[in-house]
Amino acid sequence: MKPSTVPATLDSLGAIAEYVMAAAASAGLDKRASYRLRLAVDEIATNIIVHGHTKAGLQGALELRADIDDRTLTLAIEDTGIAYDPRQAPVPDTSLPLEQRPIGGLGVYLAMKSVDEFLYERVGDRNRSTFKMHLSSAPIEEEGRA
Amino acid sequence: MAFSATTTIDSGIAKITMAGQLDASMAPVFQREVENAEAQKVKRLVLLMSELEYISSAGLRALVFAKQKMGRGVDLYVVGAQPQVMDTIRMTGFDRSVIALDTYDAGIIENI
Repeated sequence: MKPSTVPATLDSLGAIAEYVMAAAASAGLDKRASYRLRLAVDEIATNIIVHGHTKAGLQGALELRADIDDRTLTLAIEDTGIAYDPRQAPVPDTSLPLEQRPIGGLGVYLAMKSVDEFLYERVGDRNRSTFKMHLSSAPIEEEGRA
Repeated sequence: MAFSATTTIDSGIAKITMAGQLDASMAPVFQREVENAEAQKVKRLVLLMSELEYISSAGLRALVFAKQKMGRGVDLYVVGAQPQVMDTIRMTGFDRSVIALDTYDAGIIENI
């Protein structure tokens, strides 16, 4: 898919979701997997915007890119906000009742649980967050090959 | 991409009808409705979710806020959540703190 660049503001979340859902449709992901990919990208994009830019006093953009091959839909976000590896976030205790919950930490947790693979790299002054969804093999193709 | 939340309060029961996509950009809209219900000292908070297509952690945080402000005496109902929305609620463990119903059941919800 053609890459897309959006400003690092919360108003961009709608456009980001549309990009992800278009990529999920192109890859033939089912409804549930599409939702989970959208959730993961939305949560991490929100973190990049709020913590990587707004609260750090930075302006910037998120560059979105989707690549689809036989096995995998790979969606990447690149930004120049402050470095942050979501994989190092503490895991929230989901057994606690709501009355005792801290307010933060759920978004990253949901993102990590929702996609098949998540990668983070810091390359120079850029953050690259990569989401992968495995594509189930199409039964019709399998029969055709047999 | 749109989200709406409208509240009606009657006999100590606040019902918030949610529709559309609830991401971080729309969370303040939902948060205002929750705060409004909390300020009215209701005994039940009922979230009508059948038209809600998406919820992120930003929306769920408003529920944490509601539960913490309103205290143990206030029951939180989630009614008619779509399967993917319910999945997210379950993944966070919130299903243990809310009462989930497929449809609005006055016999349960209005029995104060």
